[in-house]
Amino acid sequence: MASSFRHAWRTDALAVTAALAIAWIVFDLAVWGYGEAPLEVARLLWGGTWGTAYGAGQVLFKATPLLLTGAAVEVGLRAGLFNIGAEGQLTVASLAVGVLAAHLGGVPAVLGVPVVLAAALAAGGAWAAVPAWLRVRFGAHEVVSTIMMNRIADALVAWLLASGLALRGSLRTADAVPGARLPRLDVLVPAFRGSAVSFALVVAALGAAGMAWAARRTRIGREIALVGGNARACEAERIPVRRRLAQAFILSGALAGLASAGTVLGYKGYFEVGLGAGAGFGGLAVALLGRSRLVGLVLAALFFGTLQQGGLAINAHVPREVMDVLEGVVILAVALADVRMRNSTPPAARETPPPRPPSSLCKEGGA
Amino acid sequence: MTVLECRGIAKRFDSVQAVAGASFEARPGRIHAVVGENGAGKSTLLKIAAGLLSADEGQVLLDDRELSPHTPREALRRGVAMVQQHFALVEAFTALENVVLGAEPKRSLGRLDVAKARDRVLGIARDLGADLPLDAPVSSLGVGDRQRVEIARALFRDADVIILDEPTSVLAPQEADALYLALRRLAERGRTIVVVTHKLDEVRAYADAVTAMRRGRIAYREEKTAGKDLDIEAAADAIMGDDKPPPVVRPARELGERVLSASKLILGRALAGIDLEVRQREIVGVAGVEGNGQRELVEVLAGLVHTDSGEVRLEGGVASVVHEDRHEQGLVLDASVRDNLVLGELGRFTHFGVLDAGRMEAVARERLERGGVRPPELDLTARALSGGNQQKVVLARAVSRRASLLVLAHPTRGVDLGAARVIHAQVLEAASEGAGVLVVSADLSELRTLCDRILVLRRGRFVATFEPTASDASIGAAMLGGQA
Repeated sequence: MASSFRHAWRTDALAVTAALAIAWIVFDLAVWGYGEAPLEVARLLWGGTWGTAYGAGQVLFKATPLLLTGAAVEVGLRAGLFNIGAEGQLTVASLAVGVLAAHLGGVPAVLGVPVVLAAALAAGGAWAAVPAWLRVRFGAHEVVSTIMMNRIADALVAWLLASGLALRGSLRTADAVPGARLPRLDVLVPAFRGSAVSFALVVAALGAAGMAWAARRTRIGREIALVGGNARACEAERIPVRRRLAQAFILSGALAGLASAGTVLGYKGYFEVGLGAGAGFGGLAVALLGRSRLVGLVLAALFFGTLQQGGLAINAHVPREVMDVLEGVVILAVALADVRMRNSTPPAARETPPPRPPSSLCKEGGA
Repeated sequence: MTVLECRGIAKRFDSVQAVAGASFEARPGRIHAVVGENGAGKSTLLKIAAGLLSADEGQVLLDDRELSPHTPREALRRGVAMVQQHFALVEAFTALENVVLGAEPKRSLGRLDVAKARDRVLGIARDLGADLPLDAPVSSLGVGDRQRVEIARALFRDADVIILDEPTSVLAPQEADALYLALRRLAERGRTIVVVTHKLDEVRAYADAVTAMRRGRIAYREEKTAGKDLDIEAAADAIMGDDKPPPVVRPARELGERVLSASKLILGRALAGIDLEVRQREIVGVAGVEGNGQRELVEVLAGLVHTDSGEVRLEGGVASVVHEDRHEQGLVLDASVRDNLVLGELGRFTHFGVLDAGRMEAVARERLERGGVRPPELDLTARALSGGNQQKVVLARAVSRRASLLVLAHPTRGVDLGAARVIHAQVLEAASEGAGVLVVSADLSELRTLCDRILVLRRGRFVATFEPTASDASIGAAMLGGQA
């Protein structure tokens, strides 16, 4: 698996630009295929998203969990782990948060909110601890185990809801107490009135920024990236490789779990089956497009949030599934651009240099 | 019966002229040795001869007819096969299956003709004078047998010209003898054998002709004539050219306390009772044919592997180690030079888990400058450095740890002369500052430059000790078990 050390700015900008250009072409073709005018539909898309305060608020609302799951996948990638399990980690955390938030009684928000957020982190982390353990103990590949864990999470959550955690006759938890809810952002910015964007956006921003800071400035964060780069060299230098892998995995799950703040606490106020579904997989797209940078993650979350909200805006003319297609196209294009860049690295900078006569080895290869 | 001829071959990799106008001829019935230092161009020249690489200039001729198109497939069709240093066998298949893979004799409807395949392979094994375990999976075979499977593969395809790249680097001495006996039989049956090697003892003992390369050119050429042996000294001089090894300058050092004492180390079949002592300010060299326990010894001293029995007593508890393969075990190539210079030491720069970037920077910069890394940029990725400078990073890190024991495995392998000098100077400096040093190397001149004494490792055991002034021949004899 490729490590996620940063490329040069220019390389990343090229890859992303190429991906967006391809997405634009596919968008044009799809819209044209439905007999609509691409520019007209694009105008509608803009109007339904960034064109109004409400639309912008909705985009931010959609981007909130994506930013956190994107950061979650990013933590895994840094360690060389491909955490496909953000989806399941988010599901389990959502249930835990929904149940806990309904049972906190009359706590004040200063106490209730931190408690439920901590629970979200803990539940997501705990669900990720299982594949983490399977990986470091038995070498079970995380892609396989996390996909399985996603299915188990779905089944487990449905079963728990059905066997007593849900309100009678429904598949949802009881309403969260006021002290555990995250208020809508329109209390600060009245223009957002009606949109679902909430203080979970602040939580997500802090979560992603905290991740980026820790990755650079803490020992664990830095060693996680080094382990992702070359575990054998780290082992030879006595870095606790397996512990760092497990920590990265659990941290990844915790961030994915935190995404439930945007859906359960900031939006519905309770958990129901299917709430937040897709945000975990969306995180994969955000992390791939985000190019291992905080700014990249934020922009990618906003971009995919825009696509999701935009799909609703153009649904009358073009099926909103076209936006899902675009999402896939962007991921594919970024992945392809990555491979392309890697192959066009000058040979001198690759791992095995060709045989060289001693006299000319001195010069600085590849720089 | 094929004559192989290379005419005026030139090959450039990026800005490096690997082969610069070399001509070479090999005739049937003889074992031709091609010798030279690392990077002299010998492997490149012969890969071109086998069609594996294209040449920028020059021609490859087989029986005076040009090899065209210049591909490995065409070369094989014309009877040229190359046995590479790294074998390309399917581990899960049997020896027989590997030999016939890709050239299977078929019955009607494309069914494999197992009986016919077996008959032919048995014949080939007889020619090789070898008892090949045909039905054993290759994963269960030792290196000697694997190599024979590779050679049998070439013979199964009716190769008349067989080129072997460093075939004995992984073999124990007795296996090397057996290999040359087999090659001799093949030569006597009219095949053309070309062996790329850097071991002059082998050339002396087995070759009918020697070609020495230096910096991409042919520096010396001689064929054996009746009653006169090859002039190996002349070949050796040609290989080294004007870069005669520098005079040994080892400042006198007073040996101090014992920093390492190991006794009766046993590890599987790799280490068979190692006794070893290293003292402060002492540099001890370990020579030996590759695969005689060097790698295992280093891993045991690094604490990565535990021995089955025996005792290692290490002053200060932890040795500072430079492993054999800097890409695999020395560097995180995509991380910065800064991160690599302090790899594994972040704990030193951390308060409550948070890094003190300033202190880390200062330590990394000091190491960068002391190690003479070029260019002196902490922000570059390790990947962007040349091989020699990558090794300087690894060495600077190891030396700066100030561990009481420094273990260096092949510290200058694949490194240019300039960087090698910087590295040697650092090793000598570390020793004069009080470290005990153990150097494992395949390069005897390196060991002579650095070491106070040279131990010879053979079959997992130290079999001899030499002064650094001992001759190549006597150390070589000990490495081979006395019959050089």
